[in-house]
Amino acid sequence: MANTPKLTTIFSDIIKENITGDAWNWIYAQSNITNSFDVNSAFAIMPRKTGKALVQVNNQYQELINTVTPGLSISNWTIDRLSRVWVLTQYQDVDQDKYFRTIENLFSTAEMNEQVALYSALPFLYYPQLWVKRCAEGIRSNIGIVLEAIMYHNPYPAENLPEAAWNQMVLKAFFTDKQVNKIFGLDNRANKELARILIDYARERHAAGREINNMLWYLVEKFVTGQQLNKMKQGHFND
Amino acid sequence: MIVSLKILKMCCSHNTEEKSVPLTQSTEKFDMDLIKGMRFFDPHVHMTSRTTDDYQAMADAGIVALIEPSFWLGQPRTGVDSFKDYYSSLVGWERFRSSQFGIKHYCTIGLNSREANNEALAEQVMEMLPLFIYKDGVVGIGEIGFDDQTAAEEKYYRLQLDLAKESGLPVQIHTPHRDKKRGTQRSMDIAIEHGLDPRMVIVDHNNEETVKEVLDRGFWAAFTIYPFTKMGNQRMVEITKQYGPERIMVNSAADWGISDPMAVPKTAALMKLNGISLADIELVTYRNAITAFAQSGQINETDFITAIDQSARFEGNSILRGGQQPRIDKSSIIIS
Repeated sequence: MANTPKLTTIFSDIIKENITGDAWNWIYAQSNITNSFDVNSAFAIMPRKTGKALVQVNNQYQELINTVTPGLSISNWTIDRLSRVWVLTQYQDVDQDKYFRTIENLFSTAEMNEQVALYSALPFLYYPQLWVKRCAEGIRSNIGIVLEAIMYHNPYPAENLPEAAWNQMVLKAFFTDKQVNKIFGLDNRANKELARILIDYARERHAAGREINNMLWYLVEKFVTGQQLNKMKQGHFND
Repeated sequence: MIVSLKILKMCCSHNTEEKSVPLTQSTEKFDMDLIKGMRFFDPHVHMTSRTTDDYQAMADAGIVALIEPSFWLGQPRTGVDSFKDYYSSLVGWERFRSSQFGIKHYCTIGLNSREANNEALAEQVMEMLPLFIYKDGVVGIGEIGFDDQTAAEEKYYRLQLDLAKESGLPVQIHTPHRDKKRGTQRSMDIAIEHGLDPRMVIVDHNNEETVKEVLDRGFWAAFTIYPFTKMGNQRMVEITKQYGPERIMVNSAADWGISDPMAVPKTAALMKLNGISLADIELVTYRNAITAFAQSGQINETDFITAIDQSARFEGNSILRGGQQPRIDKSSIIIS
Protein backbone atom coordinates (compact mmCIF):
# COMPACT_ATOMS: atom_id res chain seq x y z
CA MET A 1 0.00 0.00 0.00
CA ALA A 2 3.01 2.25 0.45
CA ASN A 3 3.12 2.80 -3.30
CA THR A 4 -0.51 3.59 -3.73
CA PRO A 5 -0.58 7.34 -3.13
CA LYS A 6 1.90 7.88 -5.89
CA LEU A 7 0.14 5.53 -8.25
CA THR A 8 -3.23 7.14 -7.65
CA THR A 9 -1.68 10.46 -8.63
CA ILE A 10 -0.42 8.93 -11.86
CA PHE A 11 -3.88 7.47 -12.45
CA SER A 12 -5.62 10.75 -11.86
CA ASP A 13 -3.22 12.56 -14.20
CA ILE A 14 -3.94 10.03 -16.93
CA ILE A 15 -7.70 10.16 -16.33
CA LYS A 16 -7.67 13.93 -16.51
CA GLU A 17 -5.96 13.84 -19.89
CA ASN A 18 -8.47 11.31 -21.26
CA ILE A 19 -11.81 12.92 -20.39
CA THR A 20 -13.66 16.22 -20.62
CA GLY A 21 -13.30 18.94 -18.01
CA ASP A 22 -16.85 18.33 -16.77
CA ALA A 23 -16.27 14.63 -16.33
CA TRP A 24 -13.03 15.32 -14.53
CA ASN A 25 -14.71 17.71 -12.12
CA TRP A 26 -17.28 15.05 -11.31
CA ILE A 27 -14.62 12.39 -10.77
CA TYR A 28 -12.45 14.68 -8.68
CA ALA A 29 -15.41 15.25 -6.37
CA GLN A 30 -15.31 11.51 -5.61
CA SER A 31 -11.92 11.78 -3.87
CA ASN A 32 -11.71 10.26 -0.38
CA ILE A 33 -15.13 8.61 -0.33
CA THR A 34 -16.01 7.23 3.07
CA ASN A 35 -19.47 5.74 2.71
CA SER A 36 -20.63 2.72 0.78
CA PHE A 37 -23.58 4.44 -0.86
CA ASP A 38 -21.29 6.94 -2.58
CA VAL A 39 -18.84 4.32 -3.75
CA ASN A 40 -21.70 2.18 -5.10
CA SER A 41 -23.19 4.95 -7.15
CA ALA A 42 -19.90 6.43 -8.39
CA PHE A 43 -18.78 2.96 -9.42
CA ALA A 44 -22.02 2.10 -11.27
CA ILE A 45 -22.46 5.40 -13.04
CA MET A 46 -18.85 5.75 -14.25
CA PRO A 47 -19.19 4.97 -18.00
CA ARG A 48 -22.01 7.52 -18.28
CA LYS A 49 -19.54 10.14 -17.11
CA THR A 50 -16.32 9.01 -18.80
CA GLY A 51 -17.36 7.09 -21.91
CA LYS A 52 -15.65 3.81 -22.73
CA ALA A 53 -12.79 4.72 -25.06
CA LEU A 54 -9.41 3.03 -24.75
CA VAL A 55 -7.12 5.02 -22.50
CA GLN A 56 -4.30 6.86 -24.24
CA VAL A 57 -1.19 6.39 -22.11
CA ASN A 58 2.17 7.78 -23.21
CA ASN A 59 5.40 5.84 -22.66
CA GLN A 60 6.50 8.11 -19.87
CA TYR A 61 3.44 7.24 -17.80
CA GLN A 62 3.76 3.61 -18.70
CA GLU A 63 7.35 3.52 -17.43
CA LEU A 64 6.38 5.37 -14.30
CA ILE A 65 3.60 2.87 -13.61
CA ASN A 66 6.02 0.01 -14.04
CA THR A 67 8.48 1.54 -11.63
CA VAL A 68 5.86 2.19 -8.98
CA THR A 69 3.97 -1.08 -9.41
CA PRO A 70 6.06 -3.72 -11.19
CA GLY A 71 3.96 -5.95 -13.39
CA LEU A 72 1.11 -3.51 -13.88
CA SER A 73 0.15 -2.28 -17.33
CA ILE A 74 -2.96 -0.30 -18.18
CA SER A 75 -2.29 0.03 -21.89
CA ASN A 76 -5.39 -1.97 -22.89
CA TRP A 77 -7.69 -0.47 -20.32
CA THR A 78 -10.71 1.62 -21.14
CA ILE A 79 -11.25 4.96 -19.43
CA ASP A 80 -14.25 3.74 -17.41
CA ARG A 81 -12.16 0.83 -16.12
CA LEU A 82 -9.29 3.06 -15.04
CA SER A 83 -11.67 5.56 -13.47
CA ARG A 84 -13.52 2.85 -11.58
CA VAL A 85 -10.24 1.49 -10.24
CA TRP A 86 -9.29 4.99 -9.19
CA VAL A 87 -12.57 5.50 -7.34
CA LEU A 88 -11.99 2.23 -5.47
CA THR A 89 -8.56 3.49 -4.40
CA GLN A 90 -10.31 6.57 -2.99
CA TYR A 91 -12.68 4.60 -0.80
CA GLN A 92 -11.57 3.93 2.76
CA ASP A 93 -13.23 2.73 5.90
CA VAL A 94 -11.56 2.29 9.27
CA ASP A 95 -14.01 -0.54 9.94
CA GLN A 96 -12.45 -3.50 8.12
CA ASP A 97 -15.68 -5.56 8.11
CA LYS A 98 -17.66 -2.74 6.62
CA TYR A 99 -14.99 -2.13 3.99
CA PHE A 100 -15.01 -5.82 3.11
CA ARG A 101 -18.82 -5.98 2.86
CA THR A 102 -18.99 -2.92 0.62
CA ILE A 103 -16.40 -4.21 -1.83
CA GLU A 104 -17.84 -7.75 -1.77
CA ASN A 105 -21.28 -6.36 -2.51
CA LEU A 106 -19.87 -4.62 -5.57
CA PHE A 107 -18.46 -7.93 -6.75
CA SER A 108 -21.65 -9.90 -6.19
CA THR A 109 -23.86 -7.48 -8.13
CA ALA A 110 -21.35 -6.54 -10.83
CA GLU A 111 -22.11 -6.50 -14.54
CA MET A 112 -19.42 -7.74 -16.91
CA ASN A 113 -17.34 -4.57 -17.23
CA GLU A 114 -17.72 -3.83 -13.54
CA GLN A 115 -16.25 -7.24 -12.78
CA VAL A 116 -13.29 -6.41 -14.99
CA ALA A 117 -12.71 -3.16 -13.11
CA LEU A 118 -13.08 -4.83 -9.72
CA TYR A 119 -10.56 -7.57 -10.43
CA SER A 120 -8.21 -4.99 -11.95
CA ALA A 121 -8.40 -3.12 -8.65
CA LEU A 122 -7.30 -6.07 -6.50
CA PRO A 123 -3.69 -4.83 -6.15
CA PHE A 124 -4.92 -1.49 -4.85
CA LEU A 125 -7.55 -2.52 -2.33
CA TYR A 126 -6.86 -2.24 1.38
CA TYR A 127 -6.21 -5.41 3.41
CA PRO A 128 -4.73 -7.44 0.49
CA GLN A 129 -5.20 -10.80 2.23
CA LEU A 130 -8.98 -10.27 2.39
CA TRP A 131 -9.27 -10.69 -1.37
CA VAL A 132 -7.51 -14.02 -1.83
CA LYS A 133 -10.76 -16.01 -1.92
CA ARG A 134 -12.43 -13.47 -4.17
CA CYS A 135 -9.50 -13.67 -6.60
CA ALA A 136 -9.68 -17.47 -6.61
CA GLU A 137 -13.42 -17.15 -7.28
CA GLY A 138 -12.71 -14.86 -10.23
CA ILE A 139 -10.38 -17.49 -11.67
CA ARG A 140 -13.38 -19.84 -11.74
CA SER A 141 -15.22 -17.40 -14.02
CA ASN A 142 -15.91 -18.37 -17.59
CA ILE A 143 -16.07 -14.79 -18.81
CA GLY A 144 -12.94 -14.25 -20.88
CA ILE A 145 -12.40 -10.58 -20.10
CA VAL A 146 -12.78 -11.23 -16.37
CA LEU A 147 -10.12 -13.92 -16.49
CA GLU A 148 -7.86 -11.58 -18.42
CA ALA A 149 -8.33 -8.81 -15.87
CA ILE A 150 -6.91 -11.18 -13.25
CA MET A 151 -4.29 -12.84 -15.40
CA TYR A 152 -2.82 -10.09 -17.58
CA HIS A 153 -0.39 -7.58 -16.12
CA ASN A 154 -2.01 -7.82 -12.70
CA PRO A 155 0.48 -8.10 -9.81
CA TYR A 156 -2.09 -9.26 -7.24
CA PRO A 157 -2.12 -13.03 -7.91
CA ALA A 158 1.66 -13.48 -7.84
CA GLU A 159 1.94 -11.47 -4.64
CA ASN A 160 -0.99 -12.92 -2.74
CA LEU A 161 -2.32 -16.25 -3.97
CA PRO A 162 -1.33 -19.44 -2.17
CA GLU A 163 0.31 -22.05 -4.37
CA ALA A 164 -2.80 -24.10 -5.16
CA ALA A 165 -4.77 -21.07 -6.34
CA TRP A 166 -1.82 -19.74 -8.31
CA ASN A 167 -1.39 -23.08 -10.04
CA GLN A 168 -5.09 -23.20 -10.83
CA MET A 169 -4.86 -19.78 -12.45
CA VAL A 170 -1.91 -20.73 -14.65
CA LEU A 171 -3.53 -23.99 -15.63
CA LYS A 172 -6.77 -22.21 -16.45
CA ALA A 173 -4.84 -19.73 -18.60
CA PHE A 174 -3.53 -22.61 -20.70
CA PHE A 175 -6.91 -24.30 -20.71
CA THR A 176 -8.71 -21.20 -22.00
CA ASP A 177 -6.05 -20.28 -24.59
CA LYS A 178 -4.93 -17.15 -22.84
CA GLN A 179 -1.63 -15.39 -23.56
CA VAL A 180 0.24 -16.97 -20.68
CA ASN A 181 3.28 -14.74 -21.12
CA LYS A 182 1.17 -11.79 -19.91
CA ILE A 183 0.86 -13.31 -16.44
CA PHE A 184 3.07 -11.44 -14.00
CA GLY A 185 5.35 -13.48 -11.75
CA LEU A 186 5.58 -16.69 -13.78
CA ASP A 187 9.28 -17.14 -13.00
CA ASN A 188 9.08 -16.33 -9.32
CA ARG A 189 6.02 -18.48 -8.75
CA ALA A 190 7.11 -21.47 -10.87
CA ASN A 191 6.92 -24.60 -8.75
CA LYS A 192 7.30 -28.33 -8.95
CA GLU A 193 3.64 -29.12 -8.37
CA LEU A 194 2.63 -26.79 -11.21
CA ALA A 195 5.16 -28.50 -13.47
CA ARG A 196 3.66 -31.88 -12.58
CA ILE A 197 0.13 -30.71 -13.35
CA LEU A 198 1.24 -29.14 -16.62
CA ILE A 199 3.03 -32.30 -17.72
CA ASP A 200 -0.13 -34.23 -17.00
CA TYR A 201 -2.11 -31.71 -19.02
CA ALA A 202 0.41 -31.94 -21.88
CA ARG A 203 0.10 -35.71 -21.83
CA GLU A 204 -3.67 -35.45 -22.10
CA ARG A 205 -3.44 -32.92 -24.96
CA HIS A 206 -1.01 -35.19 -26.76
CA ALA A 207 -3.28 -38.22 -26.34
CA ALA A 208 -6.20 -36.21 -27.76
CA GLY A 209 -4.14 -35.11 -30.72
CA ARG A 210 -4.29 -31.44 -29.72
CA GLU A 211 -1.53 -28.85 -29.86
CA ILE A 212 0.60 -28.03 -26.83
CA ASN A 213 1.36 -24.37 -26.08
CA ASN A 214 5.14 -23.73 -26.05
CA MET A 215 4.85 -21.64 -22.90
CA LEU A 216 3.94 -24.83 -21.08
CA TRP A 217 7.44 -26.22 -21.56
CA TYR A 218 8.93 -22.98 -20.27
CA LEU A 219 7.24 -23.58 -16.92
CA VAL A 220 8.23 -27.25 -16.88
CA GLU A 221 11.88 -27.07 -17.94
CA LYS A 222 13.29 -26.02 -14.56
CA PHE A 223 11.94 -29.16 -12.98
CA VAL A 224 12.97 -31.88 -15.43
CA THR A 225 16.21 -32.88 -17.15
CA GLY A 226 16.95 -31.73 -20.68
CA GLN A 227 16.55 -35.31 -21.83
CA GLN A 228 13.13 -35.70 -20.21
CA LEU A 229 11.98 -32.42 -21.73
CA ASN A 230 13.03 -33.40 -25.23
CA LYS A 231 11.30 -36.75 -24.91
CA MET A 232 8.06 -35.14 -23.80
CA LYS A 233 8.20 -32.59 -26.58
CA GLN A 234 8.35 -35.52 -28.96
CA GLY A 235 5.33 -37.08 -27.34
CA HIS A 236 7.03 -39.64 -25.10
CA PHE A 237 5.55 -39.22 -21.66
CA ASN A 238 6.49 -42.50 -20.01
CA ASP A 239 9.27 -41.46 -17.71
CA MET B 1 -55.62 -34.85 -40.30
CA ILE B 2 -55.60 -32.67 -37.24
CA VAL B 3 -53.08 -33.72 -34.64
CA SER B 4 -53.37 -32.42 -31.15
CA LEU B 5 -50.36 -31.59 -29.08
CA LYS B 6 -50.44 -30.93 -25.38
CA ILE B 7 -48.14 -28.18 -24.39
CA LEU B 8 -47.56 -26.18 -21.33
CA LYS B 9 -47.86 -22.58 -22.35
CA MET B 10 -46.20 -20.11 -20.08
CA CYS B 11 -44.78 -17.46 -22.26
CA CYS B 12 -43.11 -14.49 -20.79
CA SER B 13 -44.16 -15.32 -17.40
CA HIS B 14 -47.68 -16.24 -17.37
CA ASN B 15 -50.14 -18.90 -18.41
CA THR B 16 -49.40 -22.22 -16.87
CA GLU B 17 -52.56 -23.98 -17.84
CA GLU B 18 -52.36 -26.86 -20.23
CA LYS B 19 -53.92 -26.36 -23.60
CA SER B 20 -54.63 -28.48 -26.61
CA VAL B 21 -53.28 -26.87 -29.69
CA PRO B 22 -53.13 -27.95 -33.29
CA LEU B 23 -49.77 -29.14 -34.56
CA THR B 24 -48.34 -26.60 -36.95
CA GLN B 25 -49.56 -26.84 -40.50
CA SER B 26 -46.76 -24.75 -41.96
CA THR B 27 -46.06 -25.22 -45.60
CA GLU B 28 -44.05 -22.17 -46.60
CA LYS B 29 -40.31 -22.46 -46.06
CA PHE B 30 -38.39 -19.60 -44.46
CA ASP B 31 -36.11 -18.29 -47.19
CA MET B 32 -33.16 -16.51 -45.59
CA ASP B 33 -32.34 -14.83 -48.90
CA LEU B 34 -35.40 -12.62 -48.43
CA ILE B 35 -33.80 -10.85 -45.48
CA LYS B 36 -30.21 -10.94 -46.62
CA GLY B 37 -28.34 -7.79 -45.56
CA MET B 38 -31.11 -6.65 -43.19
CA ARG B 39 -30.45 -5.90 -39.52
CA PHE B 40 -32.83 -6.74 -36.72
CA PHE B 41 -33.33 -5.79 -33.09
CA ASP B 42 -35.39 -8.15 -30.91
CA PRO B 43 -36.57 -6.03 -27.97
CA HIS B 44 -37.97 -8.93 -25.95
CA VAL B 45 -36.30 -12.33 -25.77
CA HIS B 46 -35.35 -14.47 -22.75
CA MET B 47 -31.96 -15.77 -23.81
CA THR B 48 -31.26 -17.30 -20.40
CA SER B 49 -33.69 -20.01 -21.47
CA ARG B 50 -32.18 -20.53 -24.92
CA THR B 51 -29.27 -22.49 -26.34
CA THR B 52 -26.14 -21.45 -28.18
CA ASP B 53 -27.76 -22.83 -31.35
CA ASP B 54 -30.37 -20.10 -31.04
CA TYR B 55 -27.70 -17.42 -30.66
CA GLN B 56 -25.94 -18.67 -33.80
CA ALA B 57 -29.16 -18.82 -35.81
CA MET B 58 -30.18 -15.34 -34.65
CA ALA B 59 -26.80 -13.86 -35.57
CA ASP B 60 -26.94 -15.58 -38.97
CA ALA B 61 -30.39 -14.09 -39.60
CA GLY B 62 -29.15 -10.56 -38.94
CA ILE B 63 -30.16 -9.96 -35.32
CA VAL B 64 -27.49 -7.54 -34.11
CA ALA B 65 -28.89 -6.62 -30.70
CA LEU B 66 -31.60 -7.69 -28.28
CA ILE B 67 -33.25 -6.86 -24.98
CA GLU B 68 -33.75 -9.50 -22.32
CA PRO B 69 -36.48 -8.43 -19.89
CA SER B 70 -36.37 -9.94 -16.42
CA PHE B 71 -39.25 -12.34 -15.86
CA TRP B 72 -40.14 -15.35 -13.79
CA LEU B 73 -38.24 -18.55 -14.40
CA GLY B 74 -41.10 -21.03 -14.64
CA GLN B 75 -41.30 -21.60 -10.94
CA PRO B 76 -41.35 -19.13 -8.08
CA ARG B 77 -38.13 -18.01 -6.42
CA THR B 78 -38.08 -18.46 -2.67
CA GLY B 79 -35.43 -15.97 -1.62
CA VAL B 80 -34.09 -12.57 -2.52
CA ASP B 81 -30.65 -13.91 -3.39
CA SER B 82 -32.18 -15.87 -6.26
CA PHE B 83 -33.36 -12.56 -7.70
CA LYS B 84 -29.99 -11.00 -7.11
CA ASP B 85 -28.20 -13.80 -8.92
CA TYR B 86 -30.72 -13.65 -11.76
CA TYR B 87 -30.32 -9.90 -12.26
CA SER B 88 -26.54 -10.30 -12.01
CA SER B 89 -26.61 -12.96 -14.68
CA LEU B 90 -28.56 -10.66 -17.02
CA VAL B 91 -25.84 -8.02 -16.84
CA GLY B 92 -23.01 -10.52 -16.49
CA TRP B 93 -22.89 -14.04 -17.80
CA GLU B 94 -25.74 -13.77 -20.33
CA ARG B 95 -24.33 -10.54 -21.70
CA PHE B 96 -21.00 -12.25 -22.21
CA ARG B 97 -22.59 -15.32 -23.76
CA SER B 98 -24.40 -13.11 -26.26
CA SER B 99 -21.26 -11.17 -27.13
CA GLN B 100 -19.59 -14.37 -28.19
CA PHE B 101 -22.07 -14.62 -31.01
CA GLY B 102 -21.77 -11.01 -32.09
CA ILE B 103 -25.09 -9.92 -30.59
CA LYS B 104 -25.24 -6.88 -28.32
CA HIS B 105 -27.23 -7.76 -25.21
CA TYR B 106 -29.29 -5.28 -23.21
CA CYS B 107 -31.80 -5.97 -20.47
CA THR B 108 -34.64 -4.48 -18.51
CA ILE B 109 -34.79 -5.01 -14.75
CA GLY B 110 -37.95 -5.36 -12.72
CA LEU B 111 -40.12 -7.47 -10.47
CA ASN B 112 -42.50 -9.49 -12.63
CA SER B 113 -46.20 -9.41 -11.86
CA ARG B 114 -46.53 -13.07 -10.95
CA GLU B 115 -43.91 -12.93 -8.21
CA ALA B 116 -45.23 -9.58 -6.98
CA ASN B 117 -47.87 -11.70 -5.28
CA ASN B 118 -45.32 -12.96 -2.75
CA GLU B 119 -45.34 -9.71 -0.83
CA ALA B 120 -42.71 -10.55 1.76
CA LEU B 121 -40.24 -11.37 -1.00
CA ALA B 122 -41.41 -8.53 -3.23
CA GLU B 123 -40.49 -6.02 -0.53
CA GLN B 124 -36.92 -7.29 -0.47
CA VAL B 125 -36.67 -7.29 -4.25
CA MET B 126 -37.89 -3.69 -4.42
CA GLU B 127 -35.15 -2.69 -2.00
CA MET B 128 -32.55 -4.28 -4.23
CA LEU B 129 -33.73 -2.91 -7.59
CA PRO B 130 -31.89 0.45 -7.37
CA LEU B 131 -28.64 -1.51 -7.27
CA PHE B 132 -29.31 -2.87 -10.74
CA ILE B 133 -31.33 -0.32 -12.69
CA TYR B 134 -28.42 2.09 -13.03
CA LYS B 135 -26.07 -0.53 -14.44
CA ASP B 136 -24.58 -0.09 -17.85
CA GLY B 137 -26.81 -1.57 -20.56
CA VAL B 138 -30.00 -1.59 -18.46
CA VAL B 139 -32.46 0.05 -20.86
CA GLY B 140 -35.65 0.04 -18.84
CA ILE B 141 -37.80 -1.21 -15.98
CA GLY B 142 -39.45 -4.42 -17.12
CA GLU B 143 -41.25 -6.54 -17.66
CA ILE B 144 -43.78 -5.34 -15.14
CA GLY B 145 -47.55 -5.05 -15.06
CA PHE B 146 -50.47 -7.38 -14.45
CA ASP B 147 -50.95 -11.13 -14.48
CA ASP B 148 -53.91 -12.02 -12.24
CA GLN B 149 -54.62 -8.31 -11.70
CA THR B 150 -54.43 -8.64 -7.91
CA ALA B 151 -53.98 -5.84 -5.41
CA ALA B 152 -50.37 -6.91 -4.76
CA GLU B 153 -49.59 -6.79 -8.48
CA GLU B 154 -50.99 -3.31 -8.67
CA LYS B 155 -49.00 -2.17 -5.65
CA TYR B 156 -45.64 -3.26 -7.07
CA TYR B 157 -46.51 -2.09 -10.55
CA ARG B 158 -47.14 1.38 -9.15
CA LEU B 159 -43.95 1.36 -7.07
CA GLN B 160 -41.91 0.39 -10.11
CA LEU B 161 -43.51 3.10 -12.24
CA ASP B 162 -42.29 5.59 -9.66
CA LEU B 163 -38.84 4.05 -9.84
CA ALA B 164 -38.87 4.38 -13.63
CA LYS B 165 -39.87 7.99 -13.41
CA GLU B 166 -37.21 8.76 -10.85
CA SER B 167 -34.48 7.06 -12.86
CA GLY B 168 -35.63 8.37 -16.24
CA LEU B 169 -35.86 4.86 -17.65
CA PRO B 170 -38.44 3.54 -20.13
CA VAL B 171 -41.01 1.01 -18.90
CA GLN B 172 -41.69 -2.34 -20.56
CA ILE B 173 -45.20 -3.47 -19.69
CA HIS B 174 -46.32 -7.07 -19.77
CA THR B 175 -50.05 -7.21 -20.49
CA PRO B 176 -52.03 -10.14 -19.07
CA HIS B 177 -53.23 -13.19 -20.99
CA ARG B 178 -56.58 -13.25 -19.21
CA ASP B 179 -58.91 -10.29 -19.31
CA LYS B 180 -56.34 -8.75 -21.61
CA LYS B 181 -58.15 -5.71 -22.92
CA ARG B 182 -59.17 -4.52 -19.49
CA GLY B 183 -55.70 -5.28 -18.09
CA THR B 184 -54.05 -3.30 -20.87
CA GLN B 185 -56.31 -0.30 -20.28
CA ARG B 186 -55.66 -0.39 -16.56
CA SER B 187 -51.90 -0.60 -17.11
CA MET B 188 -52.02 2.53 -19.26
CA ASP B 189 -54.36 4.41 -16.90
CA ILE B 190 -52.07 3.78 -13.96
CA ALA B 191 -48.96 4.79 -15.92
CA ILE B 192 -50.60 8.10 -16.80
CA GLU B 193 -51.78 8.54 -13.22
CA HIS B 194 -48.13 8.23 -12.10
CA GLY B 195 -47.10 10.97 -14.47
CA LEU B 196 -45.27 8.87 -17.03
CA ASP B 197 -44.98 10.18 -20.56
CA PRO B 198 -46.59 7.54 -22.85
CA ARG B 199 -43.52 7.88 -25.10
CA MET B 200 -41.49 6.33 -22.28
CA VAL B 201 -43.79 3.31 -22.03
CA ILE B 202 -43.70 0.22 -24.24
CA VAL B 203 -46.91 -1.79 -23.93
CA ASP B 204 -46.10 -5.37 -24.85
CA HIS B 205 -48.02 -8.42 -26.12
CA ASN B 206 -50.61 -6.42 -28.04
CA ASN B 207 -53.16 -7.91 -30.40
CA GLU B 208 -55.91 -6.69 -32.73
CA GLU B 209 -58.09 -5.90 -29.74
CA THR B 210 -55.66 -3.67 -27.88
CA VAL B 211 -53.53 -1.96 -30.53
CA LYS B 212 -55.80 0.91 -31.44
CA GLU B 213 -56.19 2.33 -27.98
CA VAL B 214 -52.49 1.88 -27.17
CA LEU B 215 -51.45 3.85 -30.25
CA ASP B 216 -54.21 6.45 -29.89
CA ARG B 217 -53.04 7.22 -26.37
CA GLY B 218 -49.47 7.77 -27.54
CA PHE B 219 -47.81 4.62 -26.13
CA TRP B 220 -45.45 2.32 -27.99
CA ALA B 221 -47.16 -0.89 -29.11
CA ALA B 222 -45.05 -4.04 -29.06
CA PHE B 223 -46.27 -7.29 -30.60
CA THR B 224 -45.04 -10.68 -29.59
CA ILE B 225 -44.92 -13.22 -32.37
CA TYR B 226 -45.36 -16.42 -30.41
CA PRO B 227 -46.99 -19.59 -31.68
CA PHE B 228 -50.41 -20.73 -30.43
CA THR B 229 -51.02 -18.20 -27.65
CA LYS B 230 -50.00 -14.79 -28.91
CA MET B 231 -49.70 -13.20 -32.35
CA GLY B 232 -48.99 -15.10 -35.52
CA ASN B 233 -46.91 -13.21 -38.04
CA GLN B 234 -49.59 -13.29 -40.73
CA ARG B 235 -51.81 -11.30 -38.41
CA MET B 236 -48.85 -9.02 -37.76
CA VAL B 237 -48.57 -8.28 -41.46
CA GLU B 238 -52.22 -7.23 -41.51
CA ILE B 239 -51.82 -5.00 -38.44
CA THR B 240 -48.81 -3.26 -39.97
CA LYS B 241 -50.77 -2.67 -43.16
CA GLN B 242 -53.69 -1.27 -41.24
CA TYR B 243 -51.90 0.91 -38.68
CA GLY B 244 -48.64 1.73 -40.44
CA PRO B 245 -45.20 1.42 -38.84
CA GLU B 246 -45.27 4.30 -36.40
CA ARG B 247 -44.60 3.31 -32.73
CA ILE B 248 -45.04 -0.38 -33.57
CA MET B 249 -42.39 -3.00 -32.86
CA VAL B 250 -42.16 -6.77 -33.15
CA ASN B 251 -40.49 -9.20 -30.74
CA SER B 252 -40.22 -12.95 -30.18
CA ALA B 253 -40.51 -13.15 -26.37
CA ALA B 254 -38.84 -16.53 -26.91
CA ASP B 255 -38.37 -18.31 -23.59
CA TRP B 256 -38.58 -21.82 -22.15
CA GLY B 257 -41.91 -22.49 -23.83
CA ILE B 258 -42.46 -23.48 -27.44
CA SER B 259 -41.43 -20.24 -29.04
CA ASP B 260 -39.27 -18.98 -31.87
CA PRO B 261 -36.21 -16.75 -31.44
CA MET B 262 -36.31 -16.22 -35.21
CA ALA B 263 -39.72 -14.54 -34.98
CA VAL B 264 -38.43 -11.06 -35.86
CA PRO B 265 -36.50 -11.98 -39.03
CA LYS B 266 -39.28 -14.37 -40.09
CA THR B 267 -41.87 -11.64 -39.71
CA ALA B 268 -39.70 -9.27 -41.72
CA ALA B 269 -39.49 -11.87 -44.49
CA LEU B 270 -43.24 -12.36 -44.48
CA MET B 271 -43.80 -8.61 -44.57
CA LYS B 272 -41.52 -8.35 -47.57
CA LEU B 273 -43.42 -11.11 -49.37
CA ASN B 274 -46.62 -9.22 -48.66
CA GLY B 275 -45.43 -6.00 -50.18
CA ILE B 276 -44.69 -3.93 -47.07
CA SER B 277 -41.94 -1.44 -47.88
CA LEU B 278 -38.39 -2.05 -46.70
CA ALA B 279 -38.46 1.27 -44.86
CA ASP B 280 -41.54 0.23 -42.89
CA ILE B 281 -40.11 -3.22 -42.18
CA GLU B 282 -36.97 -1.60 -40.82
CA LEU B 283 -39.04 0.56 -38.49
CA VAL B 284 -41.01 -2.28 -36.93
CA THR B 285 -38.19 -4.83 -36.75
CA TYR B 286 -35.28 -2.56 -35.84
CA ARG B 287 -35.51 1.20 -35.58
CA ASN B 288 -38.61 1.80 -33.44
CA ALA B 289 -37.40 -0.45 -30.63
CA ILE B 290 -34.07 1.36 -30.59
CA THR B 291 -35.75 4.77 -30.56
CA ALA B 292 -37.98 3.73 -27.67
CA PHE B 293 -35.38 2.09 -25.46
CA ALA B 294 -32.52 4.44 -26.35
CA GLN B 295 -34.38 7.00 -24.24
CA SER B 296 -32.52 5.26 -21.41
CA GLY B 297 -29.30 6.75 -22.77
CA GLN B 298 -27.90 3.22 -22.74
CA ILE B 299 -28.07 2.16 -26.40
CA ASN B 300 -25.29 3.09 -28.76
CA GLU B 301 -25.66 1.68 -32.25
CA THR B 302 -21.94 1.81 -32.89
CA ASP B 303 -21.65 -0.94 -30.28
CA PHE B 304 -23.60 -3.24 -32.59
CA ILE B 305 -20.83 -3.28 -35.16
CA THR B 306 -18.36 -4.95 -32.90
CA ALA B 307 -21.19 -6.34 -30.80
CA ILE B 308 -18.94 -6.10 -27.79
CA ASP B 309 -17.60 -3.23 -25.76
CA GLN B 310 -14.22 -1.70 -26.41
CA SER B 311 -13.10 -3.25 -23.20
CA ALA B 312 -13.81 -6.73 -24.52
CA ARG B 313 -11.51 -6.18 -27.45
CA PHE B 314 -7.83 -6.77 -27.24
CA GLU B 315 -4.99 -7.61 -29.55
CA GLY B 316 -4.26 -11.09 -30.77
CA ASN B 317 -6.67 -13.19 -28.81
CA SER B 318 -9.86 -13.45 -30.77
CA ILE B 319 -12.07 -15.91 -28.95
CA LEU B 320 -14.21 -13.07 -27.68
CA ARG B 321 -14.63 -11.37 -31.00
CA GLY B 322 -18.22 -11.21 -32.07
CA GLY B 323 -19.42 -14.05 -34.22
CA GLN B 324 -16.19 -15.95 -33.94
CA GLN B 325 -17.30 -18.74 -31.70
CA PRO B 326 -16.13 -21.98 -33.29
CA ARG B 327 -18.80 -23.78 -35.28
CA ILE B 328 -19.44 -27.46 -35.12
CA ASP B 329 -20.71 -29.55 -37.99
CA LYS B 330 -23.92 -30.96 -36.57
CA SER B 331 -24.47 -33.28 -39.49
CA SER B 332 -21.24 -35.12 -38.73
CA ILE B 333 -21.17 -38.21 -36.53
CA ILE B 334 -17.66 -37.19 -35.49
CA ILE B 335 -17.25 -34.86 -32.50
CA SER B 336 -13.72 -33.61 -32.12
